[in-house]
Amino acid sequence: MLNRTMLLTLLACPVWLLFAGQAALANEPYRELDRPRAYTPDVKGDARFSDTYRYWKDRSRLDPAMAGNPDEYWKLNWKFMDPPFNQAIHGGHFAMDHGETRFMSLNRTHSFARCLGAGKQGLKGLRAGYPRYVARLGRVAGLEEMIEHCAAKEGVVMQNGSYDNSAVALYIASHSNGMPIRIQVSKGPMRQAFERGRLLYHTRSGRQNFACASCHVHNTGKHLRGNNITTPFGDASHYPVYRTRYELQSLHLRMIECQLDTGAQPLLPGSRAYTDLEVFLTALSNGYPVAVPTERD
Amino acid sequence: MRNLLSFALIGLALVLPAQAQQMAPGFPGDAAVDLGQEKKTLKPRVVPNSGRLEWMPAERDLTSWTTLSHLDQRDARRPQRVTLEEPLAGNPMRGRDIAMAKSRGNCVACHELPGDPWPGTVGNSLLNYQRRGMSDARVYQQIYDARIFNPQTVMPPYGTNNLLNEQELRDLVAYLQNLE
Ligand code: HEC
Repeated sequence: MLNRTMLLTLLACPVWLLFAGQAALANEPYRELDRPRAYTPDVKGDARFSDTYRYWKDRSRLDPAMAGNPDEYWKLNWKFMDPPFNQAIHGGHFAMDHGETRFMSLNRTHSFARCLGAGKQGLKGLRAGYPRYVARLGRVAGLEEMIEHCAAKEGVVMQNGSYDNSAVALYIASHSNGMPIRIQVSKGPMRQAFERGRLLYHTRSGRQNFACASCHVHNTGKHLRGNNITTPFGDASHYPVYRTRYELQSLHLRMIECQLDTGAQPLLPGSRAYTDLEVFLTALSNGYPVAVPTERD
Repeated sequence: MRNLLSFALIGLALVLPAQAQQMAPGFPGDAAVDLGQEKKTLKPRVVPNSGRLEWMPAERDLTSWTTLSHLDQRDARRPQRVTLEEPLAGNPMRGRDIAMAKSRGNCVACHELPGDPWPGTVGNSLLNYQRRGMSDARVYQQIYDARIFNPQTVMPPYGTNNLLNEQELRDLVAYLQNLE
């Protein structure tokens, strides 16, 4: 019987890609893929994607004229909302303070930070190295999943996607501010997760039969009603993010929002599929510095 | 009475996603659903200063289409060829409403149509559609399931996926074929 890994290996091979996007192998449910393509697991890969990276490469040197023109927002990948360009005080700052308080009370014996993988450097750089393979769990996990897991060990409920969880993630991320995202997807379980994530990104689902790629890859820069679709490169570096309408939003909750918007049944935060997508999207931010707290509309 | 009501509402909002036991075979166990709810599909709500994520009923039940879950064993719906029974008998005015309404056709999200200030640019402009000289049957198939013409289309298969019923599709065809 073909298992999923074998299926993905098959799908990943270029010869297979020549045959349109239909995936129909024995024992696997019928799925349609929307024009899968290859990705360089680094933010610079955008040069061969939307070619907007040059505009948002350095957050401290964005073109103010572009930041003042809604037609150009997508070319800046909305980075004008990030510090240092955006110096406004917003809900993200309060969330970060809350996250610090929650972290301190969880970490009285230092076992919480240890559980998250903090070494001699403390929290420094921790965010930049997630998602990662966690041998203890035998799977790849994102930072928010680990916060839930490690908080439970301290006897505290901190569900993935909850305000407290994202607030702690934000506080931890702030110790990586300015540090480039660096996850390895060249071998082992992380490579497999990246490959699964890449294909999921191109897999159609829901009532409208859209894949993430239907919008984010094949219609980058186009108008979708009031929205202009941006490149997926460099997006993972500012999560969790303060959203005017959603308090605090983790990356998995952002995926849920896109799925609900397109009439697709959402999955639970921390599900394997969202974690694979998180690995894929985070790899597209490799080399791009963390910048929190930030906000989006 | 009011207390009782708000109590009940809080209770509703706190319901955690249930496991998929009574769903169609192959429905994934990691989907955000509550089978006790009429619409089943849940959406999350982030509550400030809380360690719990709240869930409430989404706008519509989305459980009958495939998800991205690795555990989802159901087949997606395959492309479907249809024949339009003439006469068309569509109502252009109703068609216009369907094209504009977000919760129905929502064609304007992707296409330019007359009278819409924020046209989408994902799909072709549909201004003066009549000039294309398409047959009703061709337009009907395009909306019912455009994958028949182009397997890579971004156009949702409105008929195959049951997004609109047959009369609504006929109304849309009538509307487009009347755009001068
Ligand atoms: C119908 C089109 C559409 C589909 C399908 C879609 N999205 Fe989106 N998505 C958008 C739009 C529009 C935005 C807001 C503008 C932007 O950032 O591109 C957005 C924003 C996002 C963001 C936030 C980017 C940031 O800078 O913070 C993420 C992450 C995201 N989408 C992931 C996904 C994933 C994963 C999927 C598939 C499960 C998906 N989207 C499917 C249209 C879509």
